Amino acid sequence: MEAAEAVRTDSVAGLQSLEGKYLTFALGKEEYGIGILKVREIIGLMEITAVPHTPSYIKGVINLRGRVIPVLDLRLKFGMASEEYTERTCIIVVEVQGESGAIQVGMLVDSVSEVLNVSGQEIEAPPAFGGGADTAYLLGMAKIKGEVKILLDVDRVIGAGELAQFETI
Amino acid sequence: MGEDARAFSDFLDDMALKILMVEPGDLSVVGELLEFTEQLLAASTVATGEQPPLQRMARDFNAALQKIIMGELADSAENFDRLGQCVVQMQEVARREGDAAETALRLFRENLAAAGYEAAPAPDPAPAPESGSEPEPGGEAAAEPGRPAVNLDFLQDKDLLAGFVAESFEHLESIEVNILDLEQHPDDSDIINNIFRTFHTIKGVSGFLNLKKINELAHITENLLDDVRNAKRAMDSDVIDVVLAVGDFLREMVQNVQDVLEKGPEAYVEFDISRYVQRVRAVQSSDGGGGEEVQPAAPVEASVPVAAAALEPSPATPTVAPAAGKAKAGPAMAATTPGGGQAAAPVLRKAGIGDSIKVDVEKLDSLVNAVGELVIMQSLVRQNPLITRLADPKLNRDFSQLGRITTELQRTAMAMRMVPIRQTFQKMTRLVRDLSKKTGKSVDLIMVGEETEIDRNMVDSIYDPLVHMIRNSVDHGVQLPEEREKKGKPGTGNVYLRAYQKGGNIVIEIEDDGDGLNTAKVKKKAVERGLVSEGDALSDHDIQNLIFLPGFSTADKITDVSGRGVGMDVVKKAVEKLRGKVDVNSQDGKGSLFTIRLPLTLAIIDGIIVRIGSERYIIPTIAIQESIRPVKKDYSTVHGKGEALMIRNKLVPIIRLYEIFEVEPTYRDPCEALVVVVESEGVQRALMVDELLGKQEVVIKSLGGFLKDTKGVAGGTILGDGRVGLILDLATLLSTGGGHGTAPVEAEEIF
Repeated sequence: MEAAEAVRTDSVAGLQSLEGKYLTFALGKEEYGIGILKVREIIGLMEITAVPHTPSYIKGVINLRGRVIPVLDLRLKFGMASEEYTERTCIIVVEVQGESGAIQVGMLVDSVSEVLNVSGQEIEAPPAFGGGADTAYLLGMAKIKGEVKILLDVDRVIGAGELAQFETI
Repeated sequence: MGEDARAFSDFLDDMALKILMVEPGDLSVVGELLEFTEQLLAASTVATGEQPPLQRMARDFNAALQKIIMGELADSAENFDRLGQCVVQMQEVARREGDAAETALRLFRENLAAAGYEAAPAPDPAPAPESGSEPEPGGEAAAEPGRPAVNLDFLQDKDLLAGFVAESFEHLESIEVNILDLEQHPDDSDIINNIFRTFHTIKGVSGFLNLKKINELAHITENLLDDVRNAKRAMDSDVIDVVLAVGDFLREMVQNVQDVLEKGPEAYVEFDISRYVQRVRAVQSSDGGGGEEVQPAAPVEASVPVAAAALEPSPATPTVAPAAGKAKAGPAMAATTPGGGQAAAPVLRKAGIGDSIKVDVEKLDSLVNAVGELVIMQSLVRQNPLITRLADPKLNRDFSQLGRITTELQRTAMAMRMVPIRQTFQKMTRLVRDLSKKTGKSVDLIMVGEETEIDRNMVDSIYDPLVHMIRNSVDHGVQLPEEREKKGKPGTGNVYLRAYQKGGNIVIEIEDDGDGLNTAKVKKKAVERGLVSEGDALSDHDIQNLIFLPGFSTADKITDVSGRGVGMDVVKKAVEKLRGKVDVNSQDGKGSLFTIRLPLTLAIIDGIIVRIGSERYIIPTIAIQESIRPVKKDYSTVHGKGEALMIRNKLVPIIRLYEIFEVEPTYRDPCEALVVVVESEGVQRALMVDELLGKQEVVIKSLGGFLKDTKGVAGGTILGDGRVGLILDLATLLSTGGGHGTAPVEAEEIF
C-alpha cells in the first residue's frame, strides 16, 4: 500500500518535469502535443520522393533547403487510416538524437493547431489501456479546458528505438 | 547471417590493409590492429555465434597481438608475415564455409604456432620463438630492468604541454618532408636551415617544459646539423639516416607525452635514448671537418659501417626497434626527377607553402551546401514561367552573368576542399627508400604531378592502398640489381608515381620497370583457385586483372617476398569505396602499370538521370558500360522466371528496377523500355528503365537519419527542379536484388 503510494508520488514528480510549451496538432479527431524545443520548423506539404524498401509510414525524403531529410506519416505510424492530404496538411520538422548526432525528421500531420503552455497539474500519466494500445510513445496526457492532448515522446517515435526496428525489416 | 559475414569481412579487409603497414617495432600500428580485432570480436559475439571458428580465430589472433605488444613474442617481420597469413586465412574462412574453412583454419593454427603463439593460453609467460633463426633484436625484448618510480615533473602545465605535442608533430612531419627534399637537393642550404630550426625549436620548448630526454636528443641532433650547416660535416646518407631515425624516435616520445596527457601518468614510458645519442655522435665524428674533400652532392657510402657499428649493441626496448630495421647499409638512393631542373625546384617548393589559414571542415561543408542551393535556386528562378515570358535582353544578360558568378563560386568552394596530393606522395618516398634498403634493391621513385589536387576526404583513404601497391611494385615488380643487369636493364629500377587530372577523374599511376606479370602463371593460378576455367577465352588484360579478385593471391605468391599474402582485392575494394576504379596493364618482362581512377571529389558524382514511371533515379556514370534498347532475339528467360539479355555474346541478367523500387513503370516489356548495362565488383547487370533524361553532376547528400542504410540507395541529391532524386547504390543493388536466380556463379562467390 505504502509502496504503491510512493510510486505514485514519484511519477507525479516525473510528470511535473514535463510542464512547458507544447506544439499541438491534429491527427483525425485526436489532438497531440510535442515539446516545443524539439520542433525546428513547420513547413507546408511539398513533393516527397519515395524511398524503396522502407515501411509504409516512411513517405520518403524531401529537400529542406539543401538538406535531404526523411518524412514519416504519423497517421500510418500510429496505425490510423491514411487520409488524402489537404491544404492544412503540414510537415513538422523535429530534431532528435540519432546514433550519430542530431538528425532532423519531418512528420506529416493533418493540421497544426497552436502552441500551448501546459502546467504540471494538467498532466497525467498515460493510462494503461491494456492489450491494444501501445503507450511507449507517450509522455502523458494533458487535460486542458476539458480537452485531452496526447503528449508524444518524439525521441521514442523517431529516435533510436525506431532505428533498431528498422534494421529488422 | 549474410549481413554479419559481410561486416566481418569488411573488418578483415581493413585489417589486411593495416597489417601491411606494420614494421617491426612499430607498435602503434600493432595497437591499431588490436583495436580492429577487438571490434571484430565484439561484432562476432553479437552475431549470435553463427561463426564460431571465426570468433575463435579472432580471439587467438587478438591474444597473439597482445603478446607481441607485451614483448612476449618477437615483433619480427617474420611474425608479422605469419600474422598477415592469418588474416588471409580468416578472410578465407569468412568467405567460404564448410570444408574450405577447415583447411584455412588448420593453416591459421600452423601460422600462429610458427609465430610462437600457442592457441591454448600458455602458462609460460615467454614462449621463445620456435623458428630458430630470428635475427631480430626486439626478440629478447625484456622490459627495462626495474622501471624507476615515475617522476613526471613535466606534467605541470598541461595546456602548454598539449600545445607542444601538437606543434612537435607538425615539426617532425616537416623534418621528414624536408630531409627527403634534401636528398634531392643536397646543397640547398635553405632546407638544411629549415631542419635545423625545427630541431632547435623542439629543443627549446622541450627544455622549457622539462622534457629532458627529448631535449637532449634534439640538442645533439641540432649540433650535428649545425656542423652540416657550417660545412664542417658533409651532408650524406648517414646524416639523413640518423636524422630520420631520430625524427621517428622523437615522434614516439612525443606520442608518449600525449598518451600521458590523455591517460594519466601510468602511460609514461621511460625511453632509452643512449643508442641514438651514440649514433648521432658517431655520425658527427665520422667525417670530422672533411667538408672540402667530400663533394656534398656525392652519395657517400664509406662511413655506413660506422653507423651500423654504433647500432650493434642494441639493448632494445621494444619501442626502439624501428631504427634497427632501417639502418642496414644499402645503396644510396635519390628520389629525383632526372631532368628536373635543380633551379626550378626550390621555387616550386616555396610556392607550395604559400599563405594559408586553417578552416573548420564543417564550415567548408556548409559553404559548399549553400552554394549548391544557390545554383539550384538560380535555375528555379530563371525557369519561372513569369520570368521566361519577359524576354528582356538585359535580364538575359544579367542572368548569364549571374550564372557565371555562381559557377565560379561553386568551383572555388569545391576547390577549397581539395589539397595537393604531394603530402601523400612524399610519404611514399620514405617508404620506397626504406623498402629498397630492406630488400637490397636499388629503386628510384619518380614522382610526377604532386601538385594534382584531390578531395581532402580522400587523402586518408587513398594512403593505405597506395602503400600496398608501392610495396607490391618494389617487392614483386623491380628485380634485384644483378637480375636486372642480366636482362640488360640498368641496375637501378624505376618506380613511377604519377598523378594527373583527366576528364572528371584523378588518375594515379604506379608503374615499375620490373618483371611484369606472368600471364600464364596468373591464369594457371586462377584456374587452380576456380576463379576461371581453362577454356575461358580471356585477353591478357583480362587475365592480369584477375589479380584483383578476392582469394586470388594467397599463401604462395607468384613471387613471394613480403606482400604478406594479402591480395590486391583489398586495394580494389578500397578504391571502389572511393567510387574509383583500378586496373593493371603489364608486359611480361617489361613492367607493370597500375592505374587508379578516382572521382575528383567525393561530394559530387557524375550521373545519368533515368526515369522510371514518375520517379527519377541517378545511376553513377562510372559504373555504366552502355545503354541499349534490347531486341526480341537477344531476350531470353531462364526457368520462365529469371530474365537475361544477350549482350556482346554475354548473358546479362536483367533487373527490373521498377519492381525493386515499387513504382509504376511506363513500359513493362524490356524491348520497349531501355536497359542500362552496369558493372560493379565484377558483376554485370542490365537495369531496365523507361527513359534516359540526361547526364548531370550531382551533389551527393545523405538521406539522413535512419534512412541512410537503405538498400540499393547510396544517397539523394537535389535535382534541378528542387526535388530529391535517389542515387542508386549498385554494389548492394546488384548483390541482393539482382538476378532472380539467373545470377551467375560469381555473384555467389563475392561473399
